[in-house]
Amino acid sequence: MTLLSDIISASAHLHSSNHLPSDEYDRRIRELVEYFRRLQTTKALESFANDESFLDRFDPAIDSIPFLFVLRVQIQKVQEQNADLFPADIRPSGKLWTRAAHFLASFDGVQVRYAGREWRLLVELVGQASQAASTASRLVSNISWPLLGATLVKDAMLRLDPSGAVFTSSHLLLVRLCLQAKAYSCALPVLNKQICHFPISLGRPSSEPSVLCADHGSSVSFMTEASEVSSKISYRDYLQYFLYGGMVYMALKEWRKALHFLGIVISMPTTSSVSLIMVEAYKKWVLVGLLEKGKLCPPPSITTPHVVKVYQSLARPYIILAHTFERGDLKKLNAEIDAAMGVWSADKNLGLVAQVVAVFFSQTVIKLGKTFAALTMADLSKQVSPSPVCAEVTGPAVSSLIMSRALNATLVQTKDHAESSMLRFSSIHSLPRLSHELDLQSQLKQEMKLMETLVINLGETNNNLGLSDEYVDSLHKGQVWSGSSEVNPTGGETGLEMDEDLMGDMS
Amino acid sequence: MELPPLTMEQLSQLVASNAPPSQLFEALSRYELQACLIATGSNGLTAGADDSTLLSMFYSSFFLVHLLTDQVSEARALTKRIPEALLQYDPSLQNCLTLLRAVWQTQHAQVYQVLRGLPWPDALQPLIRRYESFFQDKTLIAVSRSYEAIRLATAAVHLGLDEQLAEKEDPNVILNFTKCGWAWDSESKLLYPKPIVVSPTEPQSSNGIRKAMAMLGTRAC
Repeated sequence: MTLLSDIISASAHLHSSNHLPSDEYDRRIRELVEYFRRLQTTKALESFANDESFLDRFDPAIDSIPFLFVLRVQIQKVQEQNADLFPADIRPSGKLWTRAAHFLASFDGVQVRYAGREWRLLVELVGQASQAASTASRLVSNISWPLLGATLVKDAMLRLDPSGAVFTSSHLLLVRLCLQAKAYSCALPVLNKQICHFPISLGRPSSEPSVLCADHGSSVSFMTEASEVSSKISYRDYLQYFLYGGMVYMALKEWRKALHFLGIVISMPTTSSVSLIMVEAYKKWVLVGLLEKGKLCPPPSITTPHVVKVYQSLARPYIILAHTFERGDLKKLNAEIDAAMGVWSADKNLGLVAQVVAVFFSQTVIKLGKTFAALTMADLSKQVSPSPVCAEVTGPAVSSLIMSRALNATLVQTKDHAESSMLRFSSIHSLPRLSHELDLQSQLKQEMKLMETLVINLGETNNNLGLSDEYVDSLHKGQVWSGSSEVNPTGGETGLEMDEDLMGDMS
Repeated sequence: MELPPLTMEQLSQLVASNAPPSQLFEALSRYELQACLIATGSNGLTAGADDSTLLSMFYSSFFLVHLLTDQVSEARALTKRIPEALLQYDPSLQNCLTLLRAVWQTQHAQVYQVLRGLPWPDALQPLIRRYESFFQDKTLIAVSRSYEAIRLATAAVHLGLDEQLAEKEDPNVILNFTKCGWAWDSESKLLYPKPIVVSPTEPQSSNGIRKAMAMLGTRAC
């Protein structure tokens, strides 16, 4: 009873401090978190492990710290009692799951910055529990349990960091859940954000910790390595996130964005070996390139030549397919697809390959536009297919392409039904100037927003680099060098002096 | 804010409301979690006939709202998240699949036929009407940009108007297009569309398109 009153009073003490200056508020939250960590270490909190009414006394939106710590203890207790990582109480719709869902949908983003580790463990648990439920029920139903986890993880991530500028382990968890749930648009609020940072270690250990609750220009100030909002990230996690992200965009047929994400994976710098994830991404890159641009897209220019060679040897059937597609021979294309059916199937790219065949017609028509200004439907039918295809079949297909804006052209019908319609590639009936200007204006607005985000985050990166150990060491060396330059009779620019000194050191 | 429980009344109210499609989508997205739990009987009750009706109504509404917000790919993904037993035997959800096929293959005449001809539950009628209007507006814009000259009957098929009346050059059918600023040449018997411009900053919603129509001072059908 005493402990409960202590907790209530400690929590109430924090309520009365949110009007205080940020450094004072920062001190009080740190004290509260320390207090709970001590209670956890001394196992004092375990007295509430089975007390269901405890959490009813706290509102997660106001008392996020006590709620989170006690909820974690209750979850651990249930796991110990059941000798199961995901017992019924923790699985979707279980008692503790409902508590966790309530917390993740309403916690105070500022308070939780101080309990990043506990927050992350809860997010991971929710995600993994929904995956476990999915595995258990797969045989009896196709209920999308991962959707429950995905929604909670997404909301929790955006609540903690609305800018989404810092890459965390939760990013990968979310995209994986969305793919499993087939709830692709659920990942978009996070996928569409610009990632600018990894969680970093700020300053030297001896330096004062930053005021986490203050208004920071960029979330990298509080999403630090020390906060443990992310588990350790490996290059593999990073590659997987962008590959899975690309797959989400593919499912939504946003080919341009998918190419961007895959481009990040395949151009990852490597020194010797190439990751299989990168090879897998390259295979998809070839197919998505055909779907978006109708040609084999070269990897981004920053990709190292030896990596490109590895791709070309490991993704040979894909490159052959792309070349056949570019040559515009449907018969050969179908033959190539049939010949390597096992490869597409093993790589789980059958769906994409099928879509490549489907866009063959539209890409062929688009290419014709580079040669002809206009064509009748009858002529077009002869051009696009070696077998005699009726103009009545081609007409609706072309009309559908133009109406979906996949083809920039117009149709001119004539009075006579028997007379073939005309397809005009260079049209006098172009959209009014206003339409282009509106498009341009919208693009400029988007670019401006992106630039603003980048400028803020670049400033923050610059600041953090300035505080890093490496920079301070190099600055120190620089001072030594510039000191020695005072006795250098040759003088000259600083950069050149550094080079001379470096050579001197070597000798 | 706590979400009220998913009930037939709650859902009917939401569907019948005149809320913008994006808001409807947001609200129904939040209810999908509850629907998921109801489908497995994890809401504390065993899934019964009432639940099947509720789930059918929920998933059909959610599907139509996907189309209303022009998210065809995501609508297709939704059909993979619907409990299989429900999807296979529920007539309303079967209608949704037929509609999806028609929209996916851009078979305009088929879309109108599904929306007007198939038996949809009364509670879904407000959404069906809204989607029909949205689809008509969207197609009108697309046709205006895609054709320099179009036969009246072809335009009528795209817009879901009576093709036979169009063949007879019915003045009411012609009026639907001339109201939008299109020119009708009675000699060549062709319509000359005037391209309709929609601001790209506006989301592709029926609301946005209606605004564009209002700006032009016209509206088809």
